[in-house]
Amino acid sequence: MNLPLLAARNVLRNKVRTGLTVLGVAVALLAFMTLRTVLSAWTQAEEFSQKDRMAVRSKISWVVLLPKKYVQEVKDMAGVQAVTWANWFGGRDPKHKQEFFANLAVDPESALQVYDEFIVSAEQKQAWVGDRQGAIVGDVLARKMGWKLGSKVTLTGGVYPFDMEFNISAIYTATRRGADRNQFMFHWAYLNEKLSSERQNRVGWLIVRTKPGVVSAEMSKRIDDHFKSSGMPTLSQSELELNRSFLAAFTAILTAINVVSIVILAIMALILGNTIAMGVRERTGEYGVLRAIGFLPRHVLAFIVGESLVVGIMGGGLALLLGYPLINMGMGRWLEENMGGLFPVFGITTATATAAMVLAVVLAAIAAAWPAWRASQLKVVDALRRVG
Amino acid sequence: MAMIPLSYSLRSLMVRKATTFATAFGIALVVFVFASVMMLGNGIKETLGASGREDTAIVMSKGAQAELGSTILQNQVGKIAQMGGVAQGENGPLAQAEMVVVITHPKVGTSGVANVTMRGMPDNWLKFRSEARIVAGREPKPGTREVVVGRAARGRFQGFDIGKSFAMVENQPFDVVGVFAAGGGSLESEVWGDLEVMRTMFDRPGLVSSVHVRLMTPGSLQAFKDGFKNDPQLREYEVERETKYYEKQANGLGQFISFLGYAIAVFFAVGAMIGAIITMYGAVATRQREIGTLRALGFSRISILLAFLFESLALSAMGGVIGVVAAMGMTTVKFSTMNFASWSEVVFRFVAKPGTFQWSILFAMAMGLVGGLLPAIRAARMSPIKAMRGSSRRRGWHPGRWLRWLRRPPRCSW
Amino acid sequence: MSDAQAEGKAADEAAKNPPPYRTQPESPAIVSLVGVGKTFFRGKEPVKVLDGLDLDVPEGSFEALMGPSGSGKSTLLNLIAGLDRPTRGKITVAGTDLTNASDRTLAKWRSQNIGFIFQAYNLMPVLTALQNVELPLLLTSLGGAERKKRAQTALRVVGLEDRMHHYPRQLSGGQEQRVAIARAIVNDPKIIVADEPTGDLDRQSADDILTLLEKLNKELKKTIFMVTHDPAASERASVQRRLDKGRLK
Repeated sequence: MNLPLLAARNVLRNKVRTGLTVLGVAVALLAFMTLRTVLSAWTQAEEFSQKDRMAVRSKISWVVLLPKKYVQEVKDMAGVQAVTWANWFGGRDPKHKQEFFANLAVDPESALQVYDEFIVSAEQKQAWVGDRQGAIVGDVLARKMGWKLGSKVTLTGGVYPFDMEFNISAIYTATRRGADRNQFMFHWAYLNEKLSSERQNRVGWLIVRTKPGVVSAEMSKRIDDHFKSSGMPTLSQSELELNRSFLAAFTAILTAINVVSIVILAIMALILGNTIAMGVRERTGEYGVLRAIGFLPRHVLAFIVGESLVVGIMGGGLALLLGYPLINMGMGRWLEENMGGLFPVFGITTATATAAMVLAVVLAAIAAAWPAWRASQLKVVDALRRVG
Repeated sequence: MAMIPLSYSLRSLMVRKATTFATAFGIALVVFVFASVMMLGNGIKETLGASGREDTAIVMSKGAQAELGSTILQNQVGKIAQMGGVAQGENGPLAQAEMVVVITHPKVGTSGVANVTMRGMPDNWLKFRSEARIVAGREPKPGTREVVVGRAARGRFQGFDIGKSFAMVENQPFDVVGVFAAGGGSLESEVWGDLEVMRTMFDRPGLVSSVHVRLMTPGSLQAFKDGFKNDPQLREYEVERETKYYEKQANGLGQFISFLGYAIAVFFAVGAMIGAIITMYGAVATRQREIGTLRALGFSRISILLAFLFESLALSAMGGVIGVVAAMGMTTVKFSTMNFASWSEVVFRFVAKPGTFQWSILFAMAMGLVGGLLPAIRAARMSPIKAMRGSSRRRGWHPGRWLRWLRRPPRCSW
Repeated sequence: MSDAQAEGKAADEAAKNPPPYRTQPESPAIVSLVGVGKTFFRGKEPVKVLDGLDLDVPEGSFEALMGPSGSGKSTLLNLIAGLDRPTRGKITVAGTDLTNASDRTLAKWRSQNIGFIFQAYNLMPVLTALQNVELPLLLTSLGGAERKKRAQTALRVVGLEDRMHHYPRQLSGGQEQRVAIARAIVNDPKIIVADEPTGDLDRQSADDILTLLEKLNKELKKTIFMVTHDPAASERASVQRRLDKGRLK
């Protein structure tokens, strides 16, 4: 027998109340973990940025196209390992008008070289490269749209106001989580030949892979300086910077999520504090007895805080127990596949789980602090009078 | 049937002040979030959906989801304007070709950048865009790099104020000469300038993004649409009523925020409800002898049930009111974020509508009702003898203590 | 009134003619109060509960304190037990001056010198009889095995060894009170203070408890100071005192 045992037994004394409180704490922590996971998954896109890749676009706006000859000029610069380019087609499948997915006109050979996280079998790759109307799609997108190898797909253009027909000739997967498996890519040359001469030979942006050891900031400056006075200046950004500026657009939402995740912790503390306060009130007499026997105020304090900690830890444990299957397997898998661009890896990070557990403990202590302090400061005589 | 006076329930709440306020505060937080989400939803609808006119149609390329991703050949604009159903003005058909691009521009007050929509419009655009007016400064001169910025964008980005300028390319600055208002919609987050100048700047020879046409009557839309089916060159384009287009624009972001918001509110509500259940169970447990006495005095089970339910409802209504008052404070907050549809930043306000606060308080009371039900049932099921015995054995010291309740207003029974 | 008069008479007689086998008048006072007063404040109004009270309780005696409600019995008991401090006067119990002792000192002192018995038993409902008895020993430096042994011994003294793994709710009121008595003696205190120890019990159980208290007094030489309403309980004590309006009679 010892005091922690007594605290633990007291926790189990009112099973309904303790059960509800543990549930309340667990729900709050679950919400907290979900929100934190949204945040970390969103911001994690940064971590999955390739450090040696950068995009080059027009300095004026990303809607302005660059001359095709820039590809060769960049390729000839020192420090560049490979260059590829892409145009945003912005089309939709008329059969699935509501589905939004990225469809890009790319240069097959160099694209797969630069985006080496895409895996495609050698024969499919060959089939795609060899077929002018061929398209390669991510496995997640293919499944969603019901496309198979050999399917014929028509896309209605947005940026380019005409229809284009494609054969699905390859399906890619990815080597790592976080790669976008929702893309549709086809031959840039096929698009280019359909354009009027004044719109021909323009590319949306370049993707540059630098040689090992090249500092991306220096590389981007070199590229931008090169085109500075060409009449069509460029803006080069590493993948990391690009992702960051994309995130910055959602600052307000991220802030809101942040605030809300803190508010939910406050609610949790209220629920827990309320339960502890009620228990303390009902047991004031018992604390009086303990004090009469010779226990000190700090014993009473530790005793009540200990009780709260037990509840907090139980709630935290339950939240983790529920959270992992719910967030990682349920929500996470769905989001990774369907919104992989935004949430490359959606799962509880160790940091989030640790934070949830630590906060459960810390908040439990804080929630119990006031009732515990009051109970410990009560005069023994007064506490005894409240027996019952 | 004898009813327990409502003041009994209310006074019981006041006796347990700390617990009552802790629970009410929890409910208040939930209601605050709930009301804020509703208000933001209203704001998004108002900002994105409020734009556009019933009697105006917008023509875009078929695959495009928004003006930004749309391309129309300039040489088709004349043909589109000549089609059936288009209203005629003094100088021919009322139609306006516009070009929409997005620039990435540094914000004021943060180190971040955000996307801003720039819209190039032909001369005399103020006549066509009759919902817009210049509220400060003056109109830009046609054929120059003078621009006007929307009321909501003013001051939020570098150089977005009268007399200032901003540039994407050196030596080609846009000079801000005025500020416009456009009915409070998302257009007010844009920058408007000369079509030709912007076409050159953004390298779009012979292209526009969309054509807006004024219909003879709102019902002329079908007639206008039909014209497109018969012309092979125009089949690549799609027509939509402006109001409907903007409504769709609001949907994506509105749904996203609503989904996120309501999901959070549900999580919160579960938490707050658990808080209410705990509090009410506590109330029932500590008042066993009171309940027993009431039963002994002849009050029915149902009136005990109602008394406790009322207590729970009063508790949650109190929380609801606090939450709503806090949410009212949000009406002064501005919320800016990227709209998925237009890929540019739009500024929203939290807009309270007449129903917002009623619904929020009803939501709070629903939580109170659900949270109070089980404890109230327990109270009602308590047998008078058992309830009176309660845990009195452990309350020795003053054997007749519970009897005081009969003589005095309810006191804390511990 | 006649009841109270009868009580008073009995007390006077006991004082005049103490049974020789019950008290040891020559032993020094273990409890000594000199001019003790206690004033509470009800709001801003001072209420004198005790006023200029002198009391000597010799070591090894078994005293009963009677008096009407509000006479200050419990206050006096609390003062002797070191739960409260007097407003005036001097209190010495078991050789320690409690008058100005700090809360901390008092707590330690209580744990070594005082055993408590309450009317409502005040056992921890979540602990077994044995664990309840063991509770005061947690404040000592004794090891777990030793604590258990002593708690068992204490339970044997009250005759509940066979019930040591029962929870309070599984015991009768009389048994609960006996567990409480075991808890009161487990740390071998010099004095046991009892506040209405039989107040919640039926006659038979009450008699058992009083017999047990007598046994503790005689065999274990514990000084017992008991507050009670019950004339029958008071009878069993060696000394009866009466408190009325803050004064001992």
